[in-house]
Amino acid sequence: MHRRRFLRSIGGAGCAVVAFSACDREKADELADSGVANVDHADLAWAKAPCRYCGTGCGVEVGVHDGKVVAVRGDEKNPVNKGLLCVKGYHLPSMLYGKDRLTHPMRRGADGKLTKISWDEALDLIASKYRETLEQHGPEAVGIYGSGQWTVFDGYAALKWIKGGMRSNNIDPNARLCMASAVMGFVTQFQSDEPMGCYDDFESGDDFVLWGNNMAEMHPVLFSRLLETRRRRPHVRIIDIGTRRTPTSDHATTYVEIRPGTDLALANGILHLLVKEGKIAKSFIEENVVFKRGIEDLDQIGYGCYDDQAERYTFKDKGRDSSLEELTEFLEAYAPASVSKTTAVPESQIRMLASLYGDRNRGTVSLWCMGVNQHTRGTWMNNLINDLHLLTGKISRPGNNPFSLTGQPSACGTVREVGTLSNRLPADMVVMKPEHRAKTEKLWGLEPGTIPAKPGYHAVDMFRALSRGDLKCLWIQTTNPWSSLPNLSRFERKPGDGRFVVVSDIYPTPTTEVADLVLPAAAWVEREGVFGNTERRTQQWNKMVDPPGEAREDAWQIMQVAKRMGMGDLFPWPEDAWHEPMYDEYRSFTLGTGKDLASYHELKKARGLRWPVVDGKETRYRYAAGHDPFVKKEKGVHFYKAKGYGEKAAVWIRPYHPPAEVPDDDYPLWLCTGRVLEHWHTGSMTRRVRELHQAVPEAYVEMNAQDAVALGMQDGQRARVVSRRGSVELLVRVEGRGRCPRGTVFVPFFDEKRLANILTLDAMDNISKEPDYKKCAVRLERV
Amino acid sequence: MWKLDPFPRLRRAVRGLPPDVRLFALSIAVVVVIAATLPGCGGAEGDAVAVPGHPDAVKSSASVRAQRRAFDGAPPVIPHAPFGSKCTVCHSKIGAEVPGVGFAPALPHGDGLGTGHWARCRQCHVHATNDKKFVETSYLPLPQNLRHGRRAYQGAPPVIPHQILLRERCEACHTGPGAREEIRCSHPERENCRQCHLEARTRDEFVRVE
Repeated sequence: MHRRRFLRSIGGAGCAVVAFSACDREKADELADSGVANVDHADLAWAKAPCRYCGTGCGVEVGVHDGKVVAVRGDEKNPVNKGLLCVKGYHLPSMLYGKDRLTHPMRRGADGKLTKISWDEALDLIASKYRETLEQHGPEAVGIYGSGQWTVFDGYAALKWIKGGMRSNNIDPNARLCMASAVMGFVTQFQSDEPMGCYDDFESGDDFVLWGNNMAEMHPVLFSRLLETRRRRPHVRIIDIGTRRTPTSDHATTYVEIRPGTDLALANGILHLLVKEGKIAKSFIEENVVFKRGIEDLDQIGYGCYDDQAERYTFKDKGRDSSLEELTEFLEAYAPASVSKTTAVPESQIRMLASLYGDRNRGTVSLWCMGVNQHTRGTWMNNLINDLHLLTGKISRPGNNPFSLTGQPSACGTVREVGTLSNRLPADMVVMKPEHRAKTEKLWGLEPGTIPAKPGYHAVDMFRALSRGDLKCLWIQTTNPWSSLPNLSRFERKPGDGRFVVVSDIYPTPTTEVADLVLPAAAWVEREGVFGNTERRTQQWNKMVDPPGEAREDAWQIMQVAKRMGMGDLFPWPEDAWHEPMYDEYRSFTLGTGKDLASYHELKKARGLRWPVVDGKETRYRYAAGHDPFVKKEKGVHFYKAKGYGEKAAVWIRPYHPPAEVPDDDYPLWLCTGRVLEHWHTGSMTRRVRELHQAVPEAYVEMNAQDAVALGMQDGQRARVVSRRGSVELLVRVEGRGRCPRGTVFVPFFDEKRLANILTLDAMDNISKEPDYKKCAVRLERV
Repeated sequence: MWKLDPFPRLRRAVRGLPPDVRLFALSIAVVVVIAATLPGCGGAEGDAVAVPGHPDAVKSSASVRAQRRAFDGAPPVIPHAPFGSKCTVCHSKIGAEVPGVGFAPALPHGDGLGTGHWARCRQCHVHATNDKKFVETSYLPLPQNLRHGRRAYQGAPPVIPHQILLRERCEACHTGPGAREEIRCSHPERENCRQCHLEARTRDEFVRVE
């Protein structure tokens, strides 16, 4: 036993004496003065970092003692959270110290068991498998599946290795399952990704409309800011539009219950009233907006999961010019009475929403996350929310913005900004455009023509291709697809299938269980990193403790393999000081584009900075005169990134389409899946935290009380939830923290032993290819 | 010959332990014995201690307090079953006696009591519905110690020995029936605590930079 640790154990015992007794003051002081138990929070080394979990990007200060993280506290200097965290953030330290941390590379033998190998063996094996596959099957047979939890460094290394080194576009992240529809919403309308507003809107807005978004549980600290705003300014309203009552509804001013999947009808219904009642901002529209209309034929579009589309979903939308007159005519079909019939929302509430968006004296912020994004028409729904703001001119102004929330700590910073998607390159560029490829090749010092023009597989198709055998080599980092992909049973692996799957992670998961090679990764403050949060804030942190065993950071793993494949020139930096030069190279993509990132030096000092950062100054409102340094106008807005639309934003006409699967006699209930406050995504981190696990130890099926009576079920019983794809046995919760309306059930997806995604359908958004985890049909059986 | 061995199983069990664990167990045993001899300290009151001025009432000990939080500064878990009402009904500005349950400590957080950004108690405080772990952990927090602040000299007001961490209402923990003896304030009537007691943010000495 280390001497120091022994002393600490004595210290612990000494403290226990102080604790379990009611000793008087002198005695307690004596013990404290005797030198034991004398380390306290003032003695820790404290350093800043963003929280590891969601896209909010709260600032924490991390307390380190004796080479271990022992405590965290909310960072009062960070403007995101001003010292407040949620229960996950407060319990970050023990997330790192589960007894089953992966500490050595391991290879699966013929017997199916993992055995320890050295880093050299592991890296050589990956390099030889990728090289072999490239030679025999070409660049379309290799791939990498990443994450919105990748740091900027990991994502940039992966992107450069696969697109610049292996000449393949098969890189996609789990963020495709998460916010791809929001990306395509912004891209189709502003030709530049990410929101124009920021968190400051939470203090300056008057009306906050939450579209299918349980913010109280999913973005708790931001919801706290909303509630605080309403406390200070009681006229503030929070409107919760949802398919079930959640803790968010409990605090909302108004709860609007909507039938699953009918949000496009509701949004069009609001637009109908705005246009009809002349509440649209005519001069703003004339100056800043063009109209577009895409393909609307349901048969042509499909859902990505039936017939031929069940193997490959490659539908491509085609826009044509449209007009306000055409929109007005199109909206005739969305009169309140018919919308109310489709959505089950009372006409009075539709009118209330229209008058709210149409009120020029009140600031309106629309907020959404997975309800809108994980949707077979998610991009369309993003379009309609942005339309509401464009047509009323409530955009790029303090307290007036459409603002999409994100679920992962660097879904914005890494996936959307670095561009770790099959079709993208850094800073809003895409592989389809020759000038974008040329710019990238030039900055990377590559021969023209290195980067292929055809996008690679999007996430779901990537795993379908792996199952088919078209994809032979896949490296998965920082994510757990065998818990998080929809319709999971289709992706079962058989031993000896000839595929090679590498998984880098910090804990064993269902994904490491199917891997041929498992690599131990350094987590969070065990390495230096940069994350970018929802409001365009880029946050840097330093390495604070050593990773356990031989664990190494993801970017290092990639660079080592690249070197072994003869692609070391892509990463020409010294082995002990590559972070800053890599960041500088990446940053050069962003300068002058309106997505300009701060210098590394500035980031080290700041509690994050919101891009575009020009001359060290961050930007709160993009496209807004007086805020965005790229807008030269005196006042108003200028959508300068939308070169293809004459530097105007596009309003898209988008119809309502029914969901891919609706309840029927055999499967009479809607299933919605999601998260709970205590667990983050597939639970691989949060379940290792005692307090979080004990609070919500297992997944459950939440159901309506009347449905429970009709089915003869009781709270606390077990029931089998059955869909056309599979079944899961779950604990029944009758009206728990959420309350489902009749005919609907909810299951959280964090539990690896009770996987909600065995039930879900792999239907996808037609444009973003993001799966719809929120709507499929199930039945409940007693067990 | 008869050999003195009153606890053969214990002896065998101890022998089977690794040396460092034995050392730890021994240290615990020694400290516990010492503790039991200290005035006012009884091993028997391990889980509960008396409430001054309330002859029949007991409250959980500081070791139980420590079990309810991951480390000093982490939000405590909720140790009781949900009662289906607003937390601030009992955890009010002064706390409340709840028959059959115990004394509900006062709310330590700042202004607004249960509204605004304090409206969502269960954003930070979660129920412990069972005591199982998903996997074992090797996380080792610092000892949790209800220590007293350092003072400049006897009679000087001590500095605040802990981080504030959004617990601005000192009186919630330092006064009333819920306050622990070790940290009970002798002069609650003065109200403005931080007029005399400062928060020590660093242990560094002042160095003048030219």
